[in-house]
Amino acid sequence: MKFKDQFRTGWRNLSRQKLRTSLTIFAIVIGAVSVTVMLSLVTSAKGFLMSSFEKTGEDRRVIVTPVTGLDYGEARWQTWSDGSGKKIDDAAIAALAAVPGVTSATPIVGAQYYDSAKSANAEVSVSNSFMLGYLANGSVTRYVTHGRVLEAADDNGGVLISRSLAEGLGFKDNLEAALGQKITLKPRKDFSEVMKDVEVTVVGVMFADGDAIDMTLKFALDTAPAFERCEGGGPNSQTTCTKESDVLRNGYPSAYVNIENKDNADAIVDEVKKLGYGAAAGQEEISAQSQAFTILGAVLGGIGGIALLVAAIGVINTMVMATLERTREIGIMRATGATKRTVRSLFTVEAGVLGFMGGIFGILLSFGVAILLNGVLNQQLEDGGISERNIVSIPPPIAIVVILVTTLIGMIAGRLPARRAANLDPVEALRYE
Amino acid sequence: MALIQCTNLKKVYTVGGEEVRALDGVSLAVEAGDFIAICGPSGSGKSTLANVIGGLDQPDSGSVVVEGMDLAEAKDKQLSEYRNKHIGFVFQSFNLQAHESALENVISPLVLGGAGKKKERVAKGMAALARVGLTDRAKHKPTELSGGQRQRVAIARALVNEPSLIIADEPTGNLDSSRGADVMKELERLNGEGITLLVITHDPTVAARAKRVIEIKDGKITETAGAR
Repeated sequence: MKFKDQFRTGWRNLSRQKLRTSLTIFAIVIGAVSVTVMLSLVTSAKGFLMSSFEKTGEDRRVIVTPVTGLDYGEARWQTWSDGSGKKIDDAAIAALAAVPGVTSATPIVGAQYYDSAKSANAEVSVSNSFMLGYLANGSVTRYVTHGRVLEAADDNGGVLISRSLAEGLGFKDNLEAALGQKITLKPRKDFSEVMKDVEVTVVGVMFADGDAIDMTLKFALDTAPAFERCEGGGPNSQTTCTKESDVLRNGYPSAYVNIENKDNADAIVDEVKKLGYGAAAGQEEISAQSQAFTILGAVLGGIGGIALLVAAIGVINTMVMATLERTREIGIMRATGATKRTVRSLFTVEAGVLGFMGGIFGILLSFGVAILLNGVLNQQLEDGGISERNIVSIPPPIAIVVILVTTLIGMIAGRLPARRAANLDPVEALRYE
Repeated sequence: MALIQCTNLKKVYTVGGEEVRALDGVSLAVEAGDFIAICGPSGSGKSTLANVIGGLDQPDSGSVVVEGMDLAEAKDKQLSEYRNKHIGFVFQSFNLQAHESALENVISPLVLGGAGKKKERVAKGMAALARVGLTDRAKHKPTELSGGQRQRVAIARALVNEPSLIIADEPTGNLDSSRGADVMKELERLNGEGITLLVITHDPTVAARAKRVIEIKDGKITETAGAR
């Protein structure tokens, strides 16, 4: 029997029991949607995260610390130095920048807390929000949505402010208007010691990224003297210090090394370690997170897989019913020349069609779910000031694989009933009432 | 040489722990163009004999030789092809597929055998329906046909692959006498056109039309009446 005719016969037999067929397909649709949506969410989230890493430059970053043995997450918080480990001074920065494959090296100096910020139109109280200093060479790119990154020219008080801060300062309706505005900060030392107000100029507005507290403000490192030469004190430090003395005594708390090729990260980490410093690559964090997503994908996909398994049992049930109901028909087909193999493949094809239809409708429904999810998420992204839209997408390979898998599951589930049908004794089947 | 040569066929069923000898050493030669009636009480083994000759069932021992092939030894694929191409079955209860039209029922052996394109199948199907005078009923479902018409559709289905043998198992059993007579006339006419006919019946009027009558009892041929 030709495959085309088998397919047509299978289709026709399925449409004879519309309700039962639809319910069986519906069960597969649920399984297909859960697998597709789960996997797509995980891949979409992973893709979004990876592109964030690329945007922030973290995929090509190595953080260098005086002490060794810190992972990337810990190294990221090394914003003040207590003098332990190998001192990172200007000579060390130059040496780091000279490592082959390194494009630039930037000392990171934290941090100041501030109580409030005041613009011409408004004052916002923030109680101990964090400020982070960068060497003003523009090498650290962040989510700057308006204006620009810090440059050397910002040495005298240029700052990047968070979107929330800009909104608090009265630029909610026009973030662009914040640029070039002078704002007055009330910095604090060690959460308690009030310091002299400083005036800074907004050069850019940024979206607060992963490591930032909402009201984070970033300043060019050389602005630090304006803060009474008193940054670098950690939460537990009791001593008052100046930038010079702190940095001179303890060195920089950490440095960002930007590398040319992200695949070189491990080699450069090794090079930096040879210099006696601790080093951790952003890649480490990325692969850890990527692995976490892979595991999450496997778990969620597995849950969806259980739904598919249940649907497969539905297919078996439907096909067993069909072989029982059609026993006499099977007998007639056998009498008029159907081989066992023909009968077997007829039922297998029929079950495969169930799986295929379930897969197709499942994918269509998944696209609908993705559109709905994107509708909700786009609003959130817009509110959060992120330019990305439609981050949930169903990768075509997933869609194709899901359809193939549901078809295969249908055929495998139909195998047992199909064998049963094929092995019926034609004489008995013809007598069946 | 005979069209079908059965030699010493034996077949035993076990029903409720009791052995039933459905065929107990049956030998029979079916000549081309013959019209044989197989008679006997129910349970005598006449249906088993017909099924074995039709390749629907296989004997425990003995041989059924058709064109050099022994059906007793044949594989499923060969038997199926034999049923498809060489045999046309006509059953007491018609055995039409209820969800298919008359034409679809008639061409189903062509579809199952993978023969030809759709157009050719339809042409052959219509020709077969024409032979039983039912071209105007091609699109009707079996439920929309009378018993006699259904049986004629079944005959058309049996004819569609130009078989060498038509096996009819009580073809008039479910029909009233005048419709039954029509169906028998139809079969006789086909026999006249050269198709070999094997009819299982316990209706003496049907048996009386056969060229040869074979009586079976307890799996054995008890009597063979010659040509009329």
